[in-house]
Amino acid sequence: MSQVVFSSWGRKVVDHRVSGGDADLASLKLKLSDTYLEQGKVGAFFGWDGIVVLDRATDVVAMAAEYMTRVQEKYCCAKCTPGKRGTRILQDTLTRIVNGQGQEADLDTIETVADLLQSCKCTLCMTSVVPVLDTVRHYRPDYLAYIRGERTLPAAKAYKEKLTAPCMDRCPAHIDIPAYIEEIKNYRFDDSLGAIRRNMPIPAVCGRVCPHPCEKACRRALVDEPISIMVLKRVAADHEWMHHKQPPMVAKAPTGKKVIVVGAGPAGLTCAFYLALEGHKVKIIDMLGEPGGTVAVGIPDYRMPRPLLRRDAEIIASLGVEIEYGVKLGRDVSLKQLKEDYDAVFLGTGAFKSKPMGVEGEDAGYEGFSPGGIHYLRAVALGEPIVTPKRVIVVGGGNTAIDCVRVALREGCEDSILVYRRTRKEMPAEPYEVDDAEEENVQFEFLRNPTRLIAENNKVVGVEVVVMALGEPDASGRRSPKPVPGSEYVIPCDLVIPAIGQDPDLDYLGPEDFGIKMTKWSSIVTKGGTMMTDCAGVFAGGDCEYGAMTVVVAVGHGRRAARAMHRYLSEGKAYLDDEDAMEDIVNNFGAFDPNENIGIIGHLHREHQPKINGAERAKNYDELELAMPESQAVREAERCLRCYRVGMVSVS
Amino acid sequence: MITLKINGQTVQIEKGATILAAAEKTGIRIPTLCYLKKVSPTGACRICVVDVKGAEKPMASCHTPAEEGMEVTTESPRLRKIRKQVIELLLVNHPLDCPVCDAAGECELQNICYEHDVTAQPFVAEDVNAATITGWPLIEQVPNRCVMCEKCVKVCHEVVGADALCVNLKGDRAFIDKNLAKCEFCGNCVQVCPTGTMISKPFKFQARGWELTKVASTCTSCGSQCQIDLNVKNNRLFRVTSDEGTINDGNLCFNGFFGSDYVHSSLRLTAPLLKSGNRQRSVDWDEALNAAATALQSGKVAGIAGNRLTNEEAFLFQHLFRQGLGCNDFDSESRFGIQRAYDLLQTHFGMQGGTAGLGRIANAAAVLVIGADPTAEAPAVDWLTQQACRKNDGKMIVVNARTVKLSQYANVPMTCRPGSEGIVAGALARLILDQGLADSGWLAANVANLEELRAALAGVNIDQAADACGVSRELLEEAADHLGRAPSVAIVLGGDIYRESQFSGTIGAILNLALISGALQGEVGGLYPIGAGANSQGLLKMGVSSDLLPGGQKASISGRDLGEILAAIENGEVRTLFVAGANPLAFPESGRWQKALAQLDSLIVQDCLASELTDMAQIVLPGVTFVEKSGTVTSSAHKLSPLAAAIDPVGSARPDQQILADLLARIAPAAVLDPEQLAAEVARCSVISAPFPILRVAPMPLAEPLPSPVLLAGKDLYYAAATNSASAASHVVVPGGYIAINPIDAAGLSVKDGEKLRVTSKQGILEGPVQVLATVPVGVCFVPYNCADVNVQAILPSFGSNTETVALSKA
Repeated sequence: MSQVVFSSWGRKVVDHRVSGGDADLASLKLKLSDTYLEQGKVGAFFGWDGIVVLDRATDVVAMAAEYMTRVQEKYCCAKCTPGKRGTRILQDTLTRIVNGQGQEADLDTIETVADLLQSCKCTLCMTSVVPVLDTVRHYRPDYLAYIRGERTLPAAKAYKEKLTAPCMDRCPAHIDIPAYIEEIKNYRFDDSLGAIRRNMPIPAVCGRVCPHPCEKACRRALVDEPISIMVLKRVAADHEWMHHKQPPMVAKAPTGKKVIVVGAGPAGLTCAFYLALEGHKVKIIDMLGEPGGTVAVGIPDYRMPRPLLRRDAEIIASLGVEIEYGVKLGRDVSLKQLKEDYDAVFLGTGAFKSKPMGVEGEDAGYEGFSPGGIHYLRAVALGEPIVTPKRVIVVGGGNTAIDCVRVALREGCEDSILVYRRTRKEMPAEPYEVDDAEEENVQFEFLRNPTRLIAENNKVVGVEVVVMALGEPDASGRRSPKPVPGSEYVIPCDLVIPAIGQDPDLDYLGPEDFGIKMTKWSSIVTKGGTMMTDCAGVFAGGDCEYGAMTVVVAVGHGRRAARAMHRYLSEGKAYLDDEDAMEDIVNNFGAFDPNENIGIIGHLHREHQPKINGAERAKNYDELELAMPESQAVREAERCLRCYRVGMVSVS
Repeated sequence: MITLKINGQTVQIEKGATILAAAEKTGIRIPTLCYLKKVSPTGACRICVVDVKGAEKPMASCHTPAEEGMEVTTESPRLRKIRKQVIELLLVNHPLDCPVCDAAGECELQNICYEHDVTAQPFVAEDVNAATITGWPLIEQVPNRCVMCEKCVKVCHEVVGADALCVNLKGDRAFIDKNLAKCEFCGNCVQVCPTGTMISKPFKFQARGWELTKVASTCTSCGSQCQIDLNVKNNRLFRVTSDEGTINDGNLCFNGFFGSDYVHSSLRLTAPLLKSGNRQRSVDWDEALNAAATALQSGKVAGIAGNRLTNEEAFLFQHLFRQGLGCNDFDSESRFGIQRAYDLLQTHFGMQGGTAGLGRIANAAAVLVIGADPTAEAPAVDWLTQQACRKNDGKMIVVNARTVKLSQYANVPMTCRPGSEGIVAGALARLILDQGLADSGWLAANVANLEELRAALAGVNIDQAADACGVSRELLEEAADHLGRAPSVAIVLGGDIYRESQFSGTIGAILNLALISGALQGEVGGLYPIGAGANSQGLLKMGVSSDLLPGGQKASISGRDLGEILAAIENGEVRTLFVAGANPLAFPESGRWQKALAQLDSLIVQDCLASELTDMAQIVLPGVTFVEKSGTVTSSAHKLSPLAAAIDPVGSARPDQQILADLLARIAPAAVLDPEQLAAEVARCSVISAPFPILRVAPMPLAEPLPSPVLLAGKDLYYAAATNSASAASHVVVPGGYIAINPIDAAGLSVKDGEKLRVTSKQGILEGPVQVLATVPVGVCFVPYNCADVNVQAILPSFGSNTETVALSKA
């Protein structure tokens, strides 16, 4: 573990320069890699909440000057006076000092201007003074040495910086969220969508069904409520089709390289989009008859209307991406053949195998037992001839379970019952979806766990459940449920749908398939953030790589894979560039401090999109959440604090 | 309402208002620099910071909403220090060229420095400002004077919707840049600039702000009639400005801001002229007036008036003919334009023109812009439509034979075949009715012959209509859904409608759609015919028409209308023609007019600018521009506005009212009106008539659109009025006339931008340079009106259409 020479991170000063001692990063709860790619050691990290110096020989004065230069010249938006002029003055002052033309009074100027930057409109320039001030205050002798012309420390090999924001960092696709929100604030919906599409090509989807982890890292929540980041994305996406506009993207000239993408889900579509933009010829194959993968057949239309999903896919196809449906890897075509026919392969095959509940009778082949929630949802979505009976039990507490109970209602069931072994509070499903289900008269049986299927004449007539009690919190922080002995009873029903999770189905990976490794959770192993498997030229991402996760994780994988694949295709090597590397370094470090004192007054409520209310809505698949009026979206966007910040490492 | 305290004073204000608004209400002044009420808050300058109890950091009052119980302090040593230092930052590398800066004396940065006692410059930084941008037409940008308030960017994007300006580059190098292709040269960026960054080239170095006298008046570039200030000195108009808070909220268009430079054009007529032989000579007024009076009393006389006349002049013009000469053979240039809508509105709805008050458009829940390009025909309507649909969540439907600027903001942009707007309107009405979205209760209570409409609409086949107009059924359905569901609807119709060959059916279909969609219900939205000239509405209300009485009602006996006047000149029944403020050589079939006018014994032209027409005249009476005369004008939305004579007439030109009064005194002394009498007549004629209590459905016979290729004539913003031909600014932006065609057609004809194209119609041949534009559909060629060098009227059929099937070839 790396040793820290000096740290002011989080306003907590740890200084081992004189004592000669040191503290390791872990003890300071700092997650900073001590190497940068294969280019060298990390000397120091400068960022919004201080500096962390790992290498004693780091020239912090030169680094401060370089940091401020990059903030001013590459990132400062110039849209407020203190930021535009103040960071320029700081840049010039620091540069003057480093050039040996400084005076001691310059250090006072830095303090004065830094103070003035507290009036900035956003946090970009405001936070940029934090590391600089820390150097002035804690490395003053180094400054004075420069001013006296005595400085001799070696220059860093390189500096690498990254613009981030807490929301943007937390988003698995790293969308430039403050940018797209600001465009909405400025009534520039097309530009907003353009900013989104730099990282995410299925905005209609992620504007609707993203679990929006970004909103958990929204600094606005520290003064009142988080910004409706996801809904604003929908507003930008909807604006385009609601005005019959054509997307502006144009693919680069053809490179002559051919790529096959397996799976037209979020990961595959995303990967195809960014590769197509680079000019590669991309073909997608998918086992289903329509695009979207789990989004198409696992998310009901009342949450994600499929025409909009198809539109996103059509836009991707319009860049020259061919999509062939009804082709399943392992059944209709082998990986070996794909590897031979194409210059690169992306596996985005999802996670379509339901986890077993492990209860008596589930393998007995009873009528009235569904192989799993994802199967049930898919059968309904594809219009397969299945009949949903009057009384349905769904087992599980995640989004799929919630989707199943609500779809069952729409398919004509009268009693739709969700059985979950913990309480409502522990449900992994989004709370608003649980509320929605309740509003539609879904019945909940909490702290119940199935133990046995009850069948008559080979047909399910009920589920025996045991009452559970919550014990101590487990590693995930959730209290683990324990069965109460002797509390078993039977809930009668006509159909049982287990919805306790899905695994990837990697049967297509035969032993001869190039040494691609699997995890013990039967997901594909990829290396070093490039999304490349152990087989050169074969990449993987999304649920098949991570295990069943979210749309936005799949999008993040798809984009990262496309970037690495582009380098693989054009340079023969899949590697991370500086942007990827810094994205990971900053992400590892974390850009959100839930205990930060923002210092402003809040009181502005989060805006919500209108919604169809009442149980009546559970009779059809019309979209429940209605479009947020644009004026309301602008008002919501105005709440954004634009929490940009810049992190920089020196490489020695 | 919420209650808060500012500097200890209690203030109540509506929820959502900013601290700045609350302070303003209490009379507490918070200094600002980047704040502009009509655009979204920017929060750039940080000068308006205040302290709010509970917040450690100062808050920008311009974009922090006031809250119940909030305690705000607007003055403290800390705030004063922040403001002063922020201003000091603004002054870093700001040039000390105030003495020669165009904004001197009107500079908000100067004022704020003065107010905050900023006398020193403690901060220094390298000067990385971009160089002055001198390459843009009409507007110059001086980056080192910029305070990056973004007012220009925001007004350009949020109000005008041109979206030409942007912030380019990062950090201190950032400057305001422009996408020239999108610029409308409205000058609003110049107007809102707090410093001398965005400056008007024509105004640069011409006058100091403080020397100018601002005279409140009314813009007469179009029928919207924006409120303006004429900035004058020494009998010269230097610039036109407008203040926030006016009906146009300080916004001006190209013609308002730059276009009035024709006032001092070298083409101005400065002395009366009489023709003897083939030569015109300057004469004194008595000689000219006597000659004109004699000619007018020759018996075979007719008159044509243009919409540049004021209400008073218009009244006198018809008074001269009716009372002085006992003649009803006079008409206005609205005959083949707006009067067609006026007549049908009066016949069926009892309305003399459109709905009163343009402001009602801004809050409409849906706006249908059909056969109109408000950007060129009535820019204020363009801005209001955008306000309704971009800021207030309204739905915009644009139906046009071309892609116009508003199309980009439309929820449903429909490009229909030229002349098929009526078919679109009929289909929309049918769909709204079919889907049960019409207010049947209101229709039953307010429409007399609803069954006739139902029967007419029953004959509309949507699929056939979609085919005929070249628009998909889905778009028609979507548009109908928006219009049908909207609680308030505004319908804007323009020049393409009145000039369709089957205009009465088309206008009828739109009137009926107005009934079905609810545009005539309630206090929001309405029916807005636009595209008329400056005072067309006033002329019609004053009775300057062969078939309208003073007051605008239909006359029982009508005289010769424009077409009949032309025929009468041709057959010798009219030997003297008095043209005031109009130009028949810019009427359809201009060639026929040219020949006819040459046959006259006396052509008397009263106008302010020399033209081909004045060259032909036997008698030229030099009138004045709107800057040199007083009187009133009436907007297309019925607002009566005053003109102020801000400068003396140029040369020996005289106000048109005086010329007309002098002629009247010579011809019929008994009919002379004193100023009070004239004012009373104008007031009487200007009363807005109430619509019929029961409205009548209009007949809507619709014709198939013309076969391609079709010539389509329309307005170009830079040649919106005849006066643009004498505007240097117009020529800077668009050097002359052009023929616009689609890139596909250009490729087919093997013509490139700037090359000559020949357009042949039954009436004649027109040649002009090609502009290749994707906004013009395949099979259409667009030519703007009012360009003397490419006079589209020469090949258009008389008295009717703006469309004609033509043949195109490379010239």
